[in-house]
Amino acid sequence: MNSDQELIELANQGDCEAFGILYHRYRDWVHRLAWRFTGNRQDALDVLQETFTYLLGKFPGFELTAAMTTFLYPVVKHISFTIRRKNRRFASENQVLSELVAPALQETEHSRAELAAVLAALAENQREILLMRFVDDMSLRQIADALKIPMGTVKSRLHHALKALRNDRRTRDYFLE
Amino acid sequence: MTKRREHFDEDLDLEASEKVSADLSTLFKPQLSVPPEVDRAILERAGTHFAGRGFAKSGRRRFRWVSLWKVAAAAAVVILAFSLNLTNKPAPTVYYADLAKVGAVDFDRNGRVDILDAFKLARQIELASNAGTNLDINGDGLVNRGDVDVVALAAVSLDKGVL
Repeated sequence: MNSDQELIELANQGDCEAFGILYHRYRDWVHRLAWRFTGNRQDALDVLQETFTYLLGKFPGFELTAAMTTFLYPVVKHISFTIRRKNRRFASENQVLSELVAPALQETEHSRAELAAVLAALAENQREILLMRFVDDMSLRQIADALKIPMGTVKSRLHHALKALRNDRRTRDYFLE
Repeated sequence: MTKRREHFDEDLDLEASEKVSADLSTLFKPQLSVPPEVDRAILERAGTHFAGRGFAKSGRRRFRWVSLWKVAAAAAVVILAFSLNLTNKPAPTVYYADLAKVGAVDFDRNGRVDILDAFKLARQIELASNAGTNLDINGDGLVNRGDVDVVALAAVSLDKGVL
């Protein structure tokens, strides 16, 4: 299986199939991230298309200097906010998260619903890093590069997010041995 | 200078249990599917992009060969033109004997064509700001030293320059 770098090199030489492989490799990741930012299925699909159209425009001559997810994360975030503004969805981050959390409240898994509620109460920058780490599977370095913030800041925000979960009675049990 | 202790250097502080990760994934990794028509639209756009930007190797190679050929052909024509001196008009044939019979070259009106006529022609060319075609003795379209040379040569090649 070709690495991302190999696929990009092939795409730079005009290999459309290589771009197709890259698309399928990151399609679902981008789609889920877009859904998280927009809170809306149609908007998420628009973001998906806009993101890969943006990536397409980079060829030929695209140079990947970090992980693909590090490159894609700020692109998806920016496009998501643009589309939300364009579609007159002025919901704040917390409102969007509430929409995402709402379906969870209907589930029988009570703990998951409470986890969602505690997350909604976190500071936005802490919640974002927590999700990048444990949902998007990005390393601390990748998170720092994607958000263009120091590694120390990433660690600090993640620490505070996990501390909030640990100290909240609704999610304390997650951290018991 | 003491090294500033970095907080949160302990990675354990930044880990979460598997259950936290699993529940976060369930919340934020819903089973969303991308409709096939969206896949199709994106991949078709990619196809157009890669086809239209000269990405095709054979196309690019063809383009290079054509452009190189044109450059080589143009260079060959230029070299040939210079080697054949095609930029210069062929010098008209001057019949000195006929020239001597033409009264127009007897510039000093002494009845013969001699070196003094060449000098007079030279003087007229020097003074004339807009030399008329009647001074174009050799017929090359220019009124210059070439015309003077022709008269001078005629003067020395003729039999005493008598008209």
